[in-house]
Amino acid sequence: MTDAAARVRAGLRRGVDAITGMSAFDLALRLTLVNLLLRPVGSWAVRPFTVALAALGLLAPGLFRAPFLWLGLTILTGLRVVLDWPLPDNHAYLLFYWCLAVTISLVMGDPGRLLAINARLLIGLVFAFSVLWKLVLSPDFMNGTFFTVTLLSDARFEGFARVAGGLSEEGYEALREFIRGTGDAYGAPEIPPRLLALSTFLTYWTIAIEAAVAVLFFLPLRLAISGLRDYLLILFCLTTYGVANVDGFGWLLLAMGVAQAWAGEGRGKKEKNRVRLFYVAAFLLIIFYGYYTFSRLL
Amino acid sequence: MRYLPVILLTALALSQIYLARTVSLSPWAGGGFGMFSTPDAPRNRAVRAYVLTPGVRREVKIPDHLSDAALRAGAMPTDARLTALARGIAEIPTPEAVTPKAVVIEVWRAAYEPLSLAPSPRIVKSLEVLID
Repeated sequence: MTDAAARVRAGLRRGVDAITGMSAFDLALRLTLVNLLLRPVGSWAVRPFTVALAALGLLAPGLFRAPFLWLGLTILTGLRVVLDWPLPDNHAYLLFYWCLAVTISLVMGDPGRLLAINARLLIGLVFAFSVLWKLVLSPDFMNGTFFTVTLLSDARFEGFARVAGGLSEEGYEALREFIRGTGDAYGAPEIPPRLLALSTFLTYWTIAIEAAVAVLFFLPLRLAISGLRDYLLILFCLTTYGVANVDGFGWLLLAMGVAQAWAGEGRGKKEKNRVRLFYVAAFLLIIFYGYYTFSRLL
Repeated sequence: MRYLPVILLTALALSQIYLARTVSLSPWAGGGFGMFSTPDAPRNRAVRAYVLTPGVRREVKIPDHLSDAALRAGAMPTDARLTALARGIAEIPTPEAVTPKAVVIEVWRAAYEPLSLAPSPRIVKSLEVLID
């Protein structure tokens, strides 16, 4: 092995040790602050303050555990929801709940345990409500309408729809015009079977993995199968945010996942470290998703 | 207090479902985690405004300064939001140079035929607001 390779290896080892040596609580807080810097939230009234607090938390040693910092972030993320109501995306609400959970954990003692419980319940509820909407409340999801319409009308999905659906630019445009009701009124194009198959797959995959995450996050920790929850959440993030580029939501879920990943009976140190590294790797991978999009394959 | 975030999430998500059922709140909005379950997102809803003057019903383009109010009214078309938007529209000078008698605000969404995906407009809410 050359010196350079040995140095790289040693550097990687130090990085891994730093991540696995940190408490789950600290790592979750740091990832949340990084999320706030990577994807600043709110309008001009909120954004600079959240970014400044997040930067301060990462710059000053120990400050990221300061209750006043998280109280400030709780107020700001809550203010953002109130000012923009009812329009904020779902993860805007979740970010507020999460900052509140961190603040409460820091103030009330036993922060690691309290934050882990809140994280597990919040994630379980997010996925449970999401499944409720998709499976019961929305008439457009299980019949595949949602995904087909979205693949053809939402610009964020164009690259994926054309690559995975095998659509030419002209074919995609014609279908998009049709879906928007602005196309040729006399010639409704046939939806390509490959695109319909893709929509069907996405529909069932989404409902299956979201339901599985919800169930596993609600299961008692004493059950061995609940240990799969971390892997499923990571799989959800890796498969979802490569297609739907809502990276801020993905990073938030992963930060919350880290906070509760230590919990569970029968988990050895080695497995806990492995899970934690998977979370961090997924967090980093989602950064790349934002730059290496399906549109680049066209 | 220890589980306040969990209680808040549950309460708000349940109230969002209630509002979606009662006042046509868009499933994407309101914090109920209904995003990506339906194409009925706030930005996919269309808000149309009509000014009524004696003998004339004329559609008006919603001006930029009211676009945010229109988006919010479309996302959750309560009487209060639609009325506020209508009063804002009423302040726009009309070609007839008369004060509008009333302003009608309509919120539309697209519905899709499940097999062909042919879109068709569906009215979400319509409100006629008399202008004093």
